[in-house]
Amino acid sequence: MKMSDSLNKTVTFQPHQTKQTSPSPATLSTTGRLMSYNDQLKAGLQNGIGFTRLLDQLISTTSTQELFQAVADLTAYHLDTAYIVFPQQYSRSDFYLIFLNRLLDLHQLSGVVLQSSDQYHELYHEYPGINAAGYFVFKFPENDPSGAYYIEKNSQLELFYLDFTKHLLRFNSHTLTQLLLVDYYPKLDHQNIKKFATILLAIGNYLKRDFGFDVDFGLLDPINSCVYQISEPDLPTTIIDQLFVIAAKGGKMLEAGADQSAVLKLDNDVTVTIFREADPQQAHFGEWLLKVWDPQQTISWFDVLLHYQFLRDWYLNNLPSLEIKADLQYFS
Amino acid sequence: MAEVSPVEIEQFQQSAKELQKKVSNKIRYLQTLLNAVQAHDDRLIYQLIDGENYSHQIMQAKHGTADAGNERLLNDVTAQISQYLSINLLSYLKETYPFFYFQQTGLGNYQFFFGNWWDRRLFGTLDILKVAFEFDEIEYQKLKRAFELEQENKRLNSDQIAVISQQTDQLQALINSQAERDQQKEKIRQQLKQLAQEKVLPWEASKIRENKQQLVSQLSELTDQDEKAQKAYKLIRESQKDVLKLSKEDTLIGYEKQSIVAKFGSFENFEARNKSLYRDYIADLIATKGRVKIENE
Repeated sequence: MKMSDSLNKTVTFQPHQTKQTSPSPATLSTTGRLMSYNDQLKAGLQNGIGFTRLLDQLISTTSTQELFQAVADLTAYHLDTAYIVFPQQYSRSDFYLIFLNRLLDLHQLSGVVLQSSDQYHELYHEYPGINAAGYFVFKFPENDPSGAYYIEKNSQLELFYLDFTKHLLRFNSHTLTQLLLVDYYPKLDHQNIKKFATILLAIGNYLKRDFGFDVDFGLLDPINSCVYQISEPDLPTTIIDQLFVIAAKGGKMLEAGADQSAVLKLDNDVTVTIFREADPQQAHFGEWLLKVWDPQQTISWFDVLLHYQFLRDWYLNNLPSLEIKADLQYFS
Repeated sequence: MAEVSPVEIEQFQQSAKELQKKVSNKIRYLQTLLNAVQAHDDRLIYQLIDGENYSHQIMQAKHGTADAGNERLLNDVTAQISQYLSINLLSYLKETYPFFYFQQTGLGNYQFFFGNWWDRRLFGTLDILKVAFEFDEIEYQKLKRAFELEQENKRLNSDQIAVISQQTDQLQALINSQAERDQQKEKIRQQLKQLAQEKVLPWEASKIRENKQQLVSQLSELTDQDEKAQKAYKLIRESQKDVLKLSKEDTLIGYEKQSIVAKFGSFENFEARNKSLYRDYIADLIATKGRVKIENE
């Protein structure tokens, strides 16, 4: 890791210019001024020490709760004072990246490497196997002080939205599809794409379990009860006809299920169901929805798309209708 | 009351006897049917309700032993008879024709779908009393034709799809060549402009006119193509819909063929089996006689 060596490039924290508790130096005697200056320095140093304690905590704690507290406190920390300015500082994105990296470490999950860029004076995430295609950092929306987007730096695709204050995580099915299935699929080893998706899923699971985050996994959700909402709830049945034809070419039969649903039985007892919600009590009554079922609840719609060429073709050819909806509140 | 002559008495008694005999015969018929129903003897029921068909099919008799008079007694209970008989028959058919999926549409009335796949076709109705399929003629002919086309290595809609694809290719070419046409048009316009500016000597006038006429007609031909290209997008989209419909039908029929081949080996065997269905079923009932299939009523 390398500190940012220029304030202009990664300044994130503004010193307290306005908040002064002691009387104005102009009204004091020389000795008084000296003492006041000294006190300010001490306070500034103490402030700095406090910061280093939090940084220690972020880097070395073995408790997920302390880790979370550290990142929350560091994010809000004002390191500089009117008397002491630290020229080399990490950015908020850097803290977030360190946090995720450490969170995965604490769960003994490897696969994300925290790197530092000399060129841009920032930290970034890279994933062995897909690092040739890009790297990942956090981006902060201007009018939203607590949220952050995890983006692929080259394409600027926002993969998920993270908010530590609201305890909220939203994956973006649209960008995940674009990055992993459209951009990466033809040029990268599919095992490595899968590994990357597995880590994203793990991040969601840890935030949910360890800190009670409200998580929308989007198309990465492997739970059987997950119902994927598609972009065109009033799906024309010709699109299901297309699946029927293309599945036959791929050696799978699209079956007629109950209530005019379409059922696709895949290998290893994985079943994809396209159905129209028939229960007026349900939120999405009358809408076409997607479900993926597997005995271990480890297979998501994404996994199925990654594995089956014909499903991927069908999905990508009909994205305007079929794309799994992303939370519009966070992704436009 | 008037005096009754001995002859009349004789006649009266005679006719009473005749009627008794007839009625007794009917009672016997109905009693036999009742016993058969109670004993779950479906074979006997089939024999009783349609003697003609039974003797024709089972005994291979030239003259059936029809009992039309008695059978007519059942005219208003055929739905109930069908309903009763359907239970054993359907379990037999499900084994013999595992790809037919039956759906009850009324008392003793069944229709069936071919297959369990997406948008499977409604393939006909079941005549329970005759133990026969009433195939939907249009759907059945499509299937038959598809089997015939197999020898040519074609699917039912291969030719049609090929024609549409060719049209689509032409339309696409028309769209793709737009830039080229624009260039050509520009060139022709330039030439026309040049012609208009040139000084024309009297003896050249007709040649020039001819020349100009040719250019104008070339230009209008190109504009016609432009118009076609404009409409091409829509036509291509419609063709895609048509192709999807046809491919879907081919896929459906492909599954139907697979199902038939898997169970019967060939379409001919399937047809032969349909023809002998009544006989086969009665034979099955005889073979399983005494083994009551449906335990509880």
